[in-house]
Amino acid sequence: MTDTARRMTFNQRVQIFIKASPARMAVIISLMLFAITVAFNPPSFNANTLNAVLLLTLLLSFAAAGQTMVLIGGGLDFSVGAMMSSAAILTTYLMNGQDGKFWLVFGLAMLMGAAVGFLNGFCSIKIDLPPMIVTMAISNVVTRVGYVLTQGSPSGWVGPSFRQSIVAKIAGVVPSLTLYALIVFPLVFFLLNRSRFGKQLYLMGNNPTAAALAGIKVNRVRVLMYIFSGMLSCFAGMIGAGYMSTARAQIFDEYAFTSLVAVIVGGTAFTGGIGSYTGSIAGALLITVLSNGLTVLQLSQPIRNIVQGVVMILLLILYNRARPVRQ
Amino acid sequence: MFEMRGIEKRYDAVVACNNASLRVAPGEIRALLGSNGSGKSTMVKILAGLVKPNAGEILIDGEPVTINSGEDARRLGISAALQDLSLVPTMSVVDNILLGVEPMGRFGMVDRKKSLDDAMALLERLHVDCDPEVYVQTLMPSAQSMVEVAKAVYMKPRLLLLDEVTAALHRDEVEILFELLHELKAQGTAIVYVTHRMSEMFEICDTATIMRSGETVADVKTNEVTLDEIVYYMTGQRPEAEAAHEVHHMAPEAREVVLEAEHIAIYPKVRDISLQAYKGEIVGIGGLEGQGQPEFIRALFGAIRPEAGTIRYLGEEVHFRSPADAVNRDIGFISGERNREAMFPDRTVAENIFAGRAARGMTFAYLSAKVVRDFAQAAIKTYNIVAGSIYNPANSLSGGNQQKLAVARWIALNPTLLLLDDPTKGVDVHSRREIHRILRDCADRGMTIIISSSENEELLDLADRIYVFYEGRVSGVLSGASKTPERLVAAMMGLAQAENNAVKEAEQA
Amino acid sequence: MMEGVRRAFERFRRTPAFMGFSLFIFVLILNIVVQTPGQFFSARNMNSLFSKNVPLLLTTMAMTPLLISGTLDIAIGIQLAMVNVVSVMVFQQWGTSLYVGFLMGMLASLVVSVFCWFLVSVLRLPAMLASYSLIYIVRGINVLVMPSPQGRIPDAFYKTYDMRLGGFFPFSALFPLVVLIAWYYLMRTRFGRNIYAVGGNPRNAFAAGIDPVWVQFQAFMIKGVITGLAGIALTLMTASGNPLQGEAYGLRSLSAAIIGGLGFGGWGSMACAVFGTGFLVLIQNTVYYFFSLLTKAIPGFTVTSYWQNLVSDVIIFLGLLMTIVTAKGQREALRQGFVRQFKRRERLGD
Repeated sequence: MTDTARRMTFNQRVQIFIKASPARMAVIISLMLFAITVAFNPPSFNANTLNAVLLLTLLLSFAAAGQTMVLIGGGLDFSVGAMMSSAAILTTYLMNGQDGKFWLVFGLAMLMGAAVGFLNGFCSIKIDLPPMIVTMAISNVVTRVGYVLTQGSPSGWVGPSFRQSIVAKIAGVVPSLTLYALIVFPLVFFLLNRSRFGKQLYLMGNNPTAAALAGIKVNRVRVLMYIFSGMLSCFAGMIGAGYMSTARAQIFDEYAFTSLVAVIVGGTAFTGGIGSYTGSIAGALLITVLSNGLTVLQLSQPIRNIVQGVVMILLLILYNRARPVRQ
Repeated sequence: MFEMRGIEKRYDAVVACNNASLRVAPGEIRALLGSNGSGKSTMVKILAGLVKPNAGEILIDGEPVTINSGEDARRLGISAALQDLSLVPTMSVVDNILLGVEPMGRFGMVDRKKSLDDAMALLERLHVDCDPEVYVQTLMPSAQSMVEVAKAVYMKPRLLLLDEVTAALHRDEVEILFELLHELKAQGTAIVYVTHRMSEMFEICDTATIMRSGETVADVKTNEVTLDEIVYYMTGQRPEAEAAHEVHHMAPEAREVVLEAEHIAIYPKVRDISLQAYKGEIVGIGGLEGQGQPEFIRALFGAIRPEAGTIRYLGEEVHFRSPADAVNRDIGFISGERNREAMFPDRTVAENIFAGRAARGMTFAYLSAKVVRDFAQAAIKTYNIVAGSIYNPANSLSGGNQQKLAVARWIALNPTLLLLDDPTKGVDVHSRREIHRILRDCADRGMTIIISSSENEELLDLADRIYVFYEGRVSGVLSGASKTPERLVAAMMGLAQAENNAVKEAEQA
Repeated sequence: MMEGVRRAFERFRRTPAFMGFSLFIFVLILNIVVQTPGQFFSARNMNSLFSKNVPLLLTTMAMTPLLISGTLDIAIGIQLAMVNVVSVMVFQQWGTSLYVGFLMGMLASLVVSVFCWFLVSVLRLPAMLASYSLIYIVRGINVLVMPSPQGRIPDAFYKTYDMRLGGFFPFSALFPLVVLIAWYYLMRTRFGRNIYAVGGNPRNAFAAGIDPVWVQFQAFMIKGVITGLAGIALTLMTASGNPLQGEAYGLRSLSAAIIGGLGFGGWGSMACAVFGTGFLVLIQNTVYYFFSLLTKAIPGFTVTSYWQNLVSDVIIFLGLLMTIVTAKGQREALRQGFVRQFKRRERLGD
């Protein structure tokens, strides 16, 4: 045993440590990053910051829920951002300050998410291309439809109580958005871990051929996972709109990428079949703390871009290197 | 003189080669023999520069050399025709043959005319009738094999490695190949010839190196040994030392047809196959590798759609559109291609066992962790699977236990018809015996089992009747007294069919 | 004679470029009909077609060697902006000639290409995601170099770019022409074989003595040069600097390549890139003229640029959907070829 341990390279040992519990690892790094941020800028440690970090973490973890599912199933959904933006536009436009329209908005947003999700799933099955290209192409169309419908200048704002249900502070720190999380988290947990669908999803992601031969209807599972992803993204978009109170086109497009990073930091593999939503939530915390740190340290937008890209590449190096041609 | 000494190769915990050696002299054709997974392919790949050994040395004329890439191998005069590993399907025949050694013309450009001429000459010599400009993927498998050989001999190697090149070839094509090998031998080329076909080995090879579980166990002259001796070296058991087989006879009157396949064709592998399976019967499918067995079994399961023929299951004609349809009709399928088609390597042991159950029922039904756990634990107890914890990933188990997982997955569902495609490939003897026992029990309880196997003993041991496939047709059906190793081997070589045809022709005349 | 033509056509039909070619011809005819032949073939129209679309065409051409060698770089779009930004800033800040700026831009493009090669081939990261991360890095660098759109290149440069040689031939068309000639030379060298082998099956290529990492390096260098040219063309076209333009070229060029018939690894040719881009460009052109016909025909009918963007993205999506049909056709052709050969052997009484 010690012999094998000695023969392992440093890289392998790091990978084993991370893979043991990616969620724990992500939380540890988050805390360290937060400590560093506070050390550099002590006044940044206050109730407002904590509240903002929690709020953004929850929002990102909603956005990451669908992506987690799709990645576990061996796919990739790049339309998360576009769907969130479109749902946000829809929300502000339809609600226009009236809280009573909540259920109407909610219903339409879910319908939109399911429809685009179905399109994503159907096309990624039928088109013999990487899902990233397919979902990107579809998300572009979604964005363009948003532009056409709003003629480039979305109007309206969300209902005040809806906004309060998201941003109100419980005990001065905890955002009331947490209440939504009490519904979303168990729902996702049920889908992934306590339903037949979840079992099928994990198996399909790990080995689609074996799953099909075990009698799992892989195409059905694949379409369903994209539909769920679409619906969860639209829900995240609604919440995002509530937080921002107004929306503009492409407001949440960045979430396509950040949600992906959060999910991967949380230990979900691109190759499918491995991962958990808990990990994604921890990953969302890490990404939010990192971005908070970059803001607090007053780094400029381009530097933040570069940092994001480098972080992503480092993650890929840690988690996702293909095997060499020669063994 | 090419020599490999003390070769060792590990893939994580799996040992592919251990203290293996190989010598071949110029003008010698040496067979490299061994059962599946004995490490012979690894040895060839090491010489071709595709696999890096963990230990050991390679000597050419007494000088130690290192081979780190295909480029190195070529420089040392080594070329290889490796099964499924030499050709690029999306390139033309001529480009494939000359890949890496194109004749150069002016301005650093490839001399197209000379390329075509060279390729044509070589193809003619091998009697391959094809346009050198067509994509390789459009060729028949046999023509592809010949192109592979052409590619390997084009650079006039000092050492030629041939790994199972005759698997897809017809007898007349094999003759052409052997002529070429004799020529090369006369010119002083050293040849290593890997094969499963013993008759070919005796025909063309001077010497043979035999490997067993990664070790070189014998080095013999082919005219000094018998087939039995070679089998002894390969398996480590004297054929007669095995216990006498228990012969199972079914009362013919009690038979209810469960599955009836008629004139199934799946081009290019399966041409015309009809088969019946009765309730409680174990039907074996034998044959050399690549005679259409996997395709046929998958067609029964709905994973491949046959181009012609009908399948009747429990008395009604069925057209399964996907494996899910077949599973819904209580058909199970266990593949010997564990990694590709059966295992979920990163998922837990429990989930692997539960996979068959997971496929059926309401998609959004609540599934408590306890249901999965109990199901898995029951199966583990029943089928004696050694698993540290049911929450360990499946790839932490040994090959034999992994295969038992796959078997347990289906048996626990108690299907009406169970299809197995070479289920004990690379499985240790102990697990194999246990899988056999389980299958026999199930058949006795009324399950119908169709099992394809590349191992003759397994078929003779287990099956009530054996259909032998040859070139996509049934070349013989053995049962009862006709179920002997000799007949099986004869049918596998297509000899029985030849006899039948001769009889038919005589009748027609 | 006729027989020779027929055989050549048969051979062409089996190449990957055939589908792209058919689509291109179809939309070409459609465009000519909508725009009327006189207008379509006017020197003015031809010139503007080329000068506006040469950057996209070059980007797709740059993507081609990568796709053939089995990899890709989706950050190629933002790299055009990088070439543009570096060229303009060197010209503006250092006061050198614009040629020096272009040279530096080209160098920047090569550096990014080498970096991408390192990630994708040496570290073996998934190309799609690694290059997507690269978008962020390049975008950040672009903005660091040039915080906001600015600069102006000398008149002579962009006037030359918009010039018509001999009254008809668009100057801008020289860029792709030069690349095509160089590419067809390269395809006749050993590299032309190696790149297909590596893309088609890296293991087998390695077995044949080809180093996949080195071949992909060459592919990335070629991509770097063509991307540099595309960035220069973009600079000449826009005549100024903008750090955030061109990002959409990444996905558009990839779509164009796929519609043209390029596959992921070892399948397709430069002709596919040309036909695919031609298809995308002409269909947008057609839609534009069709809308303006409508505007003229129906009083009060107006369309905004949002509509045109939507239509163009829908077309890209439909183009990808179309590959369902093409891929199916190719599979079917392959299968039938097998069955034919098989039956022939059967007849010969094997």
